This record gives sequence, C-alpha cells and structure tokens, in this order.
Amino acid sequence: MTTFLFYLFAILTVVAAAGVIAARSPIYSAMSLVGTFFCLAGIYVLLLAHTIAVLQVLVYAGAIMVLFLFVIMLLSLGEAVAPSRVTFPRVVGGIASAGLFAALVIAARPFLPLGGQPPPSFGTLQSIGAQLYTQWLAPFEAVSLLLLVAMVGAVVVAKSRV
Amino acid sequence: MLALDFLNAPYPWQPQAIADLLWVIIALPLAGAFLCGVLGKFMGRANTSFLACATVAGSFLLSAIAVFAVGTRSTQFISPGSGAPVPWALWLDLGRWFGAGDFAAHYGFVVDRLSGALLLVITGIGFLIHLYSTEYMEHDEGYWRYFAYLNLFVAMMLTLVMADNLVLLFVGWEGVGLCSYLLIGFWYQDTEKAFAGRKAFITNRIGDFGFLIGMILLALTLQATEAMGRAGPGRGNFTDLGPAKAWVAAMHEQGPLNVEVLRGWASRMPPDQGEKTRGVMTLNTVITEGSLKGKTFGHVLTAVLLLMLLGAAGKSAQIPLYVWLPDAMAGPTPVSALIHAATMVTAGVYLFCRLSFLLVLSPTAMAWVAMIGAVTAVWAALIAFAQDDIKKVLAYSTVSQLGFMFMGVGVGVWWAAALHLVTHAFFKACLFLGAGSVMHGNADETDIQRLGGLRKEMPWTWATFGISTLAITGIVPLSGFFSKDAILHGAHTLELTGFPHLGHVVYGLGLFGALCTAFYMTRLYVLTFEGKRAADARVPHAHESGFPMVFVLVVLAVFSVLGIAWGLPGVVVGPRGEKVALLEGYFAPVLLMAEDLGSRYGLMKHEHASPLLGFVIAWAIALVGGAGAWIVYRHWLPARAGQPLPPWIAVPWRWARHKFYVDELYNFLVIRPFTALSNVLYKVVDAGLIDTVAVGGTAGALRKVGGWLRYTQTGNAQNYATVMAVGLLVSICVVLTWVLR
Amino acid sequence: MDGITLQHYLFLAALLFSLGVFGVLVRRNALVVFMCVELMLNASNLTFLAFARDAGMDLGHLPALFVIAVAAAEASIGLAIIIAVFRSRGTVNVDDIRTMRL
Repeated sequence: MTTFLFYLFAILTVVAAAGVIAARSPIYSAMSLVGTFFCLAGIYVLLLAHTIAVLQVLVYAGAIMVLFLFVIMLLSLGEAVAPSRVTFPRVVGGIASAGLFAALVIAARPFLPLGGQPPPSFGTLQSIGAQLYTQWLAPFEAVSLLLLVAMVGAVVVAKSRV
Repeated sequence: MLALDFLNAPYPWQPQAIADLLWVIIALPLAGAFLCGVLGKFMGRANTSFLACATVAGSFLLSAIAVFAVGTRSTQFISPGSGAPVPWALWLDLGRWFGAGDFAAHYGFVVDRLSGALLLVITGIGFLIHLYSTEYMEHDEGYWRYFAYLNLFVAMMLTLVMADNLVLLFVGWEGVGLCSYLLIGFWYQDTEKAFAGRKAFITNRIGDFGFLIGMILLALTLQATEAMGRAGPGRGNFTDLGPAKAWVAAMHEQGPLNVEVLRGWASRMPPDQGEKTRGVMTLNTVITEGSLKGKTFGHVLTAVLLLMLLGAAGKSAQIPLYVWLPDAMAGPTPVSALIHAATMVTAGVYLFCRLSFLLVLSPTAMAWVAMIGAVTAVWAALIAFAQDDIKKVLAYSTVSQLGFMFMGVGVGVWWAAALHLVTHAFFKACLFLGAGSVMHGNADETDIQRLGGLRKEMPWTWATFGISTLAITGIVPLSGFFSKDAILHGAHTLELTGFPHLGHVVYGLGLFGALCTAFYMTRLYVLTFEGKRAADARVPHAHESGFPMVFVLVVLAVFSVLGIAWGLPGVVVGPRGEKVALLEGYFAPVLLMAEDLGSRYGLMKHEHASPLLGFVIAWAIALVGGAGAWIVYRHWLPARAGQPLPPWIAVPWRWARHKFYVDELYNFLVIRPFTALSNVLYKVVDAGLIDTVAVGGTAGALRKVGGWLRYTQTGNAQNYATVMAVGLLVSICVVLTWVLR
Repeated sequence: MDGITLQHYLFLAALLFSLGVFGVLVRRNALVVFMCVELMLNASNLTFLAFARDAGMDLGHLPALFVIAVAAAEASIGLAIIIAVFRSRGTVNVDDIRTMRL
C-alpha cells in the first residue's frame, strides 16, 4: 500500500514539476506548482510528517501561491510566451542541472533501508509544538521578526512613487 | 754624515699617548674633506684653501711626532701574532670591524719605521701641494670640490699606509683609486677628461680584483694552516699547544689578514728541507682541509703574490695595467704631482715592502715582480723618447721609475725600493709642479716643441726643474743616484734559488733603463728651457709664477738634494755589524725579517761586493745618456732643421710616439668585445627580453585575459546563476570524490 | 514500509531539485524563475523530512517549518521587487534586465 501511494504521489509530483518548468504561460506554471505542493504534502504524510504536510498546504499552496497568482494577475502576465532561445549559457545550465542530479544521486547511494517504526507521537503537532516553544523559541521569534520585516519591506518596495 | 745618537735618546712623551691619537692623523683630512665639500661654497675661496691646508699640516705635525716616537727602541707594542714585543713601532687597535665565521678584521693602525717614513712623505708633500694648488687653481670655479677631493685622497692614502691588516689597507687602496678618478675627471664637462678618469678607475679596478682574490686566497691559506695544525701529528709548528698558541689566538682575534699574524705565519713556514723539517708543516706540504685541498702551500702562496702583483700593477701603473697613467694627465697638474708621482702610485711598492716576508718565500713571485718592473721601466722609457706633451713625458717617466722600484722589490733590496720611493716622490713632484708652473706661465701650453728658452724668463722654475732633472737621471751627488744605484747593485748581486741569471738580466735592463731615463729627461729639459723660444709659442713672454708655487718648488728641490743623506752607503752600523746606508739601517727593524728568511732558507742571497764599480758604471751611463740628448737636441737636430729624419730613426720614433699601439691593442682585444657583449645584453636581454617580453609581455597578457574575462560580466542574473550552479556542481563532486573517500 | 527505502525519497528530492535548477537557469520569465526557486526549497524540505523519518527524530521537522516560513517571507519581498521592476521597466523578462552589467 505504502509503495503504491509513494509511486503515485511521486510520479504526480514529477509531472507537475515538469509542468512548472515547461509551461508556456506563467499561469499554467503557477497551477502546476500548486499541484506539486499538494502531491508533496501527500509524500510528507507518508513520511509521517503530518504537521508539516498540513502547513505545506496551508501556507505554501494556500498563501504563497495565491500571492503569486495575484501578482500575475496584477501585472497581466498571463499570456503565453515563446519558449526561451537556446543560448550557450542555457545549454551550460542544462548540463549543470543534469550533473547536479547525477551528483546528488551518487551521493545518496550508500544509505541503508529506512529505520524502524518511530513512536506514535512522531511528527504530531503536539510534539512539534513542544519543541518549538521551548527549545527553539529564539529561532521562532526570529522568524516572526523576519516576517514582520518582509511585510514592511514588501509594502515599501511595491508601493508606487507618488 | 748625520750623527744618529738622537735616534737612541730617551723619548720625552709617553708612547702610548701618541698611539692613542693615531686615528687623528686620518680624521683631520677626512673632516677637512667633509667640511670643504659641504660648506666650501659658502666659506669662500680663502677659507676653504686655508682649512684644507691646515688639516694636512696638522696631520703632518702628528705624523712627525709619531715618527719621532718610533725612533726610540722603547716605543714598542706586543705583537698579537707572536706575543713578543715589536720595537720601534706604535699600534692602535680600535676594535673589531666585522667578523664572519672564522674571519675577522679590526680597525687597527700601525706606525712603524716604514709607514712612518711614508706618512711624512704623504703629509709633507701633500701639504706642499695643497699650498701650490691655492695659486694654481685660483681661477677655477670648483675649488671647493677640488680641495675636498684632495683632502679625501690624503685621508685614504694615510689609511692605506697605517693599516695593520690587509682589509683596512684595501679600504685605503680603493679610496685612493676613487679619489684619483674624481680628480682626474675634475673638469668633467670635457668628455675627454671624463673618459680619462673612467679609464683610470676601470684599469685600477681590474687590479683591485686581483688583489681581492689574492687576499681571499691568503685568508683561506691561513685558515687551512690552522685547521691542519689542529688536526694532529706532523704539524709541530702550528699546533695550538706549544709555541704557536699565541699565533692561533691572534688569528681568531685579529683575523687572518693582520700583518702581524701573517708575519707569524711566515716565520713558522719553512720550505721543505728534508730532515730538518720532518714533523712540521712546510711550504711543500699539501693542504688537506678547506677549499684549497690538493695544492701545496708554496703554490698557493705564489698564486697569492702574483694576484697581488696584478693589483699592484694596476695601482702602480706597471705592465699590463699602466695605460691609465698617461691619460691621467688630463687632471690638474698638482693632482698629477701628488697622486701620480708621489703617493698613490707608490701603494703597490708599499704593499710589497709590507709583505716582504711573504714575498721572499716565493722565488717565483720575486722573479715575476722583478721582470715586470724591469720590462716596464724600459718600455715606458722608450715611449717617453717620442712624446711631445710635457706632462706625458713625466707620466711615462713615473711609470718607468716605478718599474725601478718594482725591480728593487723583486730583487730583494726592499730598503732601496723604499728609498727610491721617497726620493722619487720629491724630485718627481718637483718636476710635475715645475711643469705646472711652466703651463701656468705659458697659457697652459704643454707641447714642448712650442716652448723653449724659458731659462731666462722663468728663473726659479728653471733652476728647480734643472736640479730635479739631474736628480732623476742619477747624477752624483743628488739623491736619485744613490737610490737607483742601490737597486741596480742589489740586482747585480742577487742569487735567487731557481732563477740563476735573473739578477744579471734585471741589471742589464736596469742599466738600459737608466740610459734611456737620462736621454729623455735631458731632451725634455733642453726643449723646454734651453735654446730660443719656439716660433709658434702661445704667448710671447712667459711670466714666473707667484710665491706659493715657487716656494713649494724650492722646498722640493732642496729635499731632492738633501735626500743624498739617506742613501749614502756605509754611513751607519747595520744590524749585522756591517756598515750600511742610513735608510737601510733605519728600515732594518721592519724589512730585515725578509732578508733573514731568505738567507736562512737558502731562497735568496746577495753576495757582498763593493758597490764602487757599480757606481762608476751607473754614473757613466747617466752622463752618456744626458750628453747624448744634449748633443742631439742642441746641435744635431737644429743643424738639420727642415730635413726629414733617416728611416732607421723615423720608424721606431713613430711607434714610440703612438705608445707602441698598446691602447689600440687593448681596445681591440678587450674593450671592443666587452662593448659588443654589453650591447647584446642591453638590446637583447635588457630591452628585449626583460623589458619587452617579461615586463611588457606580462602586462599585455594580463590585459588580453582581462579583455576576455570582461565578457563574462553580462549583467544577466541568469548567467551568474549558471556560474554558481556550475560551481556548486564542482564542489559537490570534489566533496564526493575527495573528502568523503 | 518495505520496498520504499530512504533512497527513494532522496532520489525524488534530487529530481525535484534538479528540475528546479534547470528552471532557474533556463526560463526567461522572472516569475517562473521564482517558482522554480520554490520548487528547490521544497526539494530540500523533502530531504529534511526523509532523514528525520529515518533517524526517528522529529527534530528534523523544525528546519522544514522554518524553511516554509522563510520561503513565505522571501516570496513576498521577491514579488514586491518584481512589481517594482515591472513598473520601471515594463517587462519581467530576465534577458532585458541587465542592470548589473559593468
């Protein structure tokens, strides 16, 4: 069962990711990215990372992608565009990404099968929360500060010069 | 005949106090040089001249006191080389100058009888020439430079003479070479004169090179001796325990080139004498330590002395390095008198007198020195026959007389060479200054064919010049006769091991040289002073020079006459009980050791013969030469006026006039290849290889590469991201393959 | 859990990451480039969670959480910049925005 689910979600993720990079219109890319996020959330669940899976859907797919779509709509960038010209840097980029893939695969090879059954509280909100608000409080607060800064920055950068 | 009791009288002052002030003798002219050079322009002509003369006069006074001190036996110092006291000498050791490993050199000054005599000559004649220069250079703009250089020269020459080790001597040696260059090229705006200065310096330098290598070899030899002495049996004369202990200690303390240390070495180093020298190191021992392995001490010593001969030949203008001296006449005449007659050129002779105890250990070197001296004496005399420039004649005469001094050194009569050095200083300086006076009074005319008849117009100059000419040709009873004759007598009676006929060959050449000397000097005198004034003279009437110049001329001429007292034979009782000349007895404490070594080891001997026959022969030769010139130039040539010379005279005459084409030969053999090589190095290596290829090429290559790299700055962020991705890939690969092996 | 080893998850993450790099380097539209950056971040998240599962420590979920938060912040700022660039230049084509040229 797990195997089937894994392959299902995996293939869907890859297809959606391919859609992101290959789609003509930015709207299609954005929708494919949303699909990627959903499938990834499924894989996260397979990894018993429940909290993160939920947060992935809520934040990534729900907020960030909405933001993306707002911007696309605002700037009227939804039309299809011609595919990129094949230039030398782009060829090099393609080779580099292929090489990266190979390198990462090679790096990942010597690992052993997945470890045994983790405890039932693995990945639950309770467990995450307990660690987050005690031991990792400082990074938590730092991230909230970061979000504040980002908000202010976004407003400052994007407002029109009147 | 001077009574010599005063030499043995008790000395009123403490000798040690005099010794402590020896450095002032050098410091005074050095300070004078500095002050004249820096402040001379502001001080004005009178003050500068006064300062310069005063410093040299002060040195003269101090030297006189020191020489007086050295006249008593009680003045002595403990020789570091042997621990024994050295009488009739003062020593001041100012401390260590530098040391490197086993080598050390000190600032040390020694005044013994030999250096004392030279001190008096240098400071005395130096003072007189400073005085002369005040009038001779009165119209020159660069007077402050002149006096500064002249003072510096005196200081350097004093350093050379008073040095107690060869390293400090070399400092003075090079210093006088430098001052000679500065003074010859004094009127440097004239390129000819500047080139003359350059030629002098470079030729001197070649000699200096030989001297330096010789010094290094000598230091290595002494160090090898000491190392072998430590090594063990069969080295009885130099082991640390025993009588050589003081010597070894001195070698480490004073350095191997200290004269006393060398003296100690020479006294312990016999040539191989079979049974007598078993168990000790001899001159025939093969060196086994250090970089001189495989050669015998005797061979190395001969090499050292020959190299020093090269150095002395450069400084004292002998074959093959005499070519700078005639050109050096481009400098002011007082400079020629001081440097190129009386002092600098005698440095080579002084060196060999100082190191006489080393010279005698190598008969080969002595033979070389004597032959070079004899050949140079004759060669230069022949060239002087045909020169028309009054200063050039005197220059070649100096070269010739220096050849005589070298002859004296080479045949083992060092006292006679030193005597000739002193007497020559006086009459040659007088001759040069007389020539200067002639030039001064004839609008700087130097061509003797355009002079003549100055006898009536310049009486003082005529008289002093005449006396000096008589002195140099060796007419009794003037000083030059006895000194030259002592040398010839020494040559005639010489028996040098391994060179049985050397003495006679040298004697013959010396007699011929004396004949030539008489001839060309009389020619010079006749053409300049006698007869009628030449038709193409520059000024119709010559005027006599002023008081400073005439005074100096008279003083020098007087000393040329009085010098007879020093050389008259049989005056005093010498160290071995027989009657010797005054100066022979005077110099005996310094120079006797060499004679002792020579006779003890059977290397050199002078047979005792009466000098009377030699006197008569020499006198006759001088008269013949003088009379011959008189007849030729007063009667024969004027009678043939207008007719060309017969070819058997004309052809050698032309050769002699062109100095036997030696300069041209050197130019072809040495100068041109060097200039060609320099051109190659300049154009190909320096301008081409280094400038264009290495420096310019590097810059150009960097510029090219920079130009190519410029294209990576596209401004496109994606390109930069591509580069980053490639970099990331590379680092991951590196980590995978190398770090996580 | 048989059959699905850690390798599978890492393989998937590597694939996603490479696709993201490819998209960043090849696409012309700045927004699409940005989306591919998000793709890369997700790939790294996946890696974190896989290893956390393998080690049995859910401590590894926290970096993933922070990555999501930071990605959100970065997305907002980045899009604001794209809006500003579009306003001044009229295009979001990366080939036409060469302000970093010397």
